[in-house]
Amino acid sequence: MSLLSVQEGGPLTTIQDAGRFGHLRVGIPTSGPMDREAFLLANRLVGNPDDAAVLECTLVGPRLELTDARLIAVTGADMSPTVNGAAIPMWEAVPLKAGDVLRLGPARAGVRGYVAVAGGLDTPRVLGSRSTYVRGRLGGLGGRALRKGDRLPLGAPAPARPRRLRAGRAPAYGTEAEVAVTLGPQDDRFTAAGIAALLEGPYELLPQSDRMGARLKGPFIEHTRGHDIVSDGVPMGGIQVIGEGQPIVLLADRQSAGGYTKIATVCSFDLGRIAQLKPGGRLAFRRVTVAEAHAMLRDSVRALDTAIE
Amino acid sequence: MTIWSEPRLLPCGDRAVSVELGDEVNRELNARVLALEYLLQQRRLPGVGETVPSYRALLVYYDPLVIGYAALEAALRELCAAARPEVLPPARTVELPCCYEGELGFELDAAAEKLGLPPAEVVRLHAGSDYYVYFVGFTPGLPYMTGMPDRLTIPRLVNPRTKTPPGSVSIGGIQCCIYSVESPGGFWVLGRTPVRMYDPEAADPILLRAGDHVRFRAIDRAEYDAIAADVAAGRYAPAIVGGS
Repeated sequence: MSLLSVQEGGPLTTIQDAGRFGHLRVGIPTSGPMDREAFLLANRLVGNPDDAAVLECTLVGPRLELTDARLIAVTGADMSPTVNGAAIPMWEAVPLKAGDVLRLGPARAGVRGYVAVAGGLDTPRVLGSRSTYVRGRLGGLGGRALRKGDRLPLGAPAPARPRRLRAGRAPAYGTEAEVAVTLGPQDDRFTAAGIAALLEGPYELLPQSDRMGARLKGPFIEHTRGHDIVSDGVPMGGIQVIGEGQPIVLLADRQSAGGYTKIATVCSFDLGRIAQLKPGGRLAFRRVTVAEAHAMLRDSVRALDTAIE
Repeated sequence: MTIWSEPRLLPCGDRAVSVELGDEVNRELNARVLALEYLLQQRRLPGVGETVPSYRALLVYYDPLVIGYAALEAALRELCAAARPEVLPPARTVELPCCYEGELGFELDAAAEKLGLPPAEVVRLHAGSDYYVYFVGFTPGLPYMTGMPDRLTIPRLVNPRTKTPPGSVSIGGIQCCIYSVESPGGFWVLGRTPVRMYDPEAADPILLRAGDHVRFRAIDRAEYDAIAADVAAGRYAPAIVGGS
């Protein structure tokens, strides 16, 4: 059997595919990649379908060995990938031989790196998905982060030529990011000054941020009458504002419902920018209409579809 | 009763919209939310993805590259008009054993003192009620329920716990919930059920559904341990009556 062996797991390396759909209504989050763009490109570079399972590495990457020859691609955060000690390029397919050791180091820019292997990771699907939800001990490998000694089965690769990103298409991850938001669902529970504070920003990303949510610190956001609501569904990218007037952006492993006011919602195509912002980085929110958001989504899909040579 | 005469459609970014039917905890309102979800699932509109019901709103995820916002809004408003509780299939009643003794009900005595009732009376009132599951979520499988008599209405804990054991049966405000995974909590823990609300190993990991009714049966510690052993061995299924 073709395997990817884990020699070192890194602090939080998990298996993620496009996500687990259909179970949010009973509280099981979608999970899936925090940076969908880097995830998709990793798969496309090695000729995988868009929903194939890859590794998502966090802050520091793993050390991995392949039992047979495969194309791999590393995207997302710059973790200075090497094969047998020699640097390899990111954002392009690299052919590896049996026994090659791929190593990803600490992230120099960005937070989350993605490793796709041609054929995809072939761990069992749980509720229709290979994505790992660590808090719920679901999916991936035993519902947990990878560790030394794990052996991941690989699927059969489709015939593919090595591809790479067009010049200038790789995203640059800095210490500042701006994301598009639509106001609501509970913008009517905030004062004009509160909404202005959110849009003025910027907010600092706190180290307590994780796959559930990005915790932020910045200008005080004022409510009209308290932060409690009759609990309702928490959308992906929802910006919850609790008692201290500070926002939390709810992400892939978020709770499905909650009882706090949500002032605005980050658009799907910009969530990867938050995933790649390091603690201490600054985040700004820009208000758009739903129609503008849909036009921007179409542009982002087009950009992704033309990103690879 | 706060049920809007027209639903409020509240966009949530580029891929979701919250269909808000009202603004309170009320069974009629919640049944309309569940009916809307049911009708939307039956309609099988291309581009409509997951739905998340809650007390008073249905969150609808959609793919704007497949269905435009105007078409989605028109369809949702039309379905809202038809979303009456009568369209729903018959509800189930699930019986859950619950041990209110000792360490399993570690806040029973404190809650009883706060309520000014003897602990045995709190148990009798709690176990004697019929509970309604408005929706399931926050953590996987956690039911949001009401049904207790007014005498058990209690303010939430001032200092929430950082860890609550799964299976903890607890009350706060007018609500009752059962913690499904180890998690922080602000409700008073009266007892524990050996039945799992969420079992990641099971083919169907979630026990309760929105619209279910729940009854608790008070058990002693010996029966709790026996059922817990059966649950661990995969030999236990709670009694479920009704449904389709």
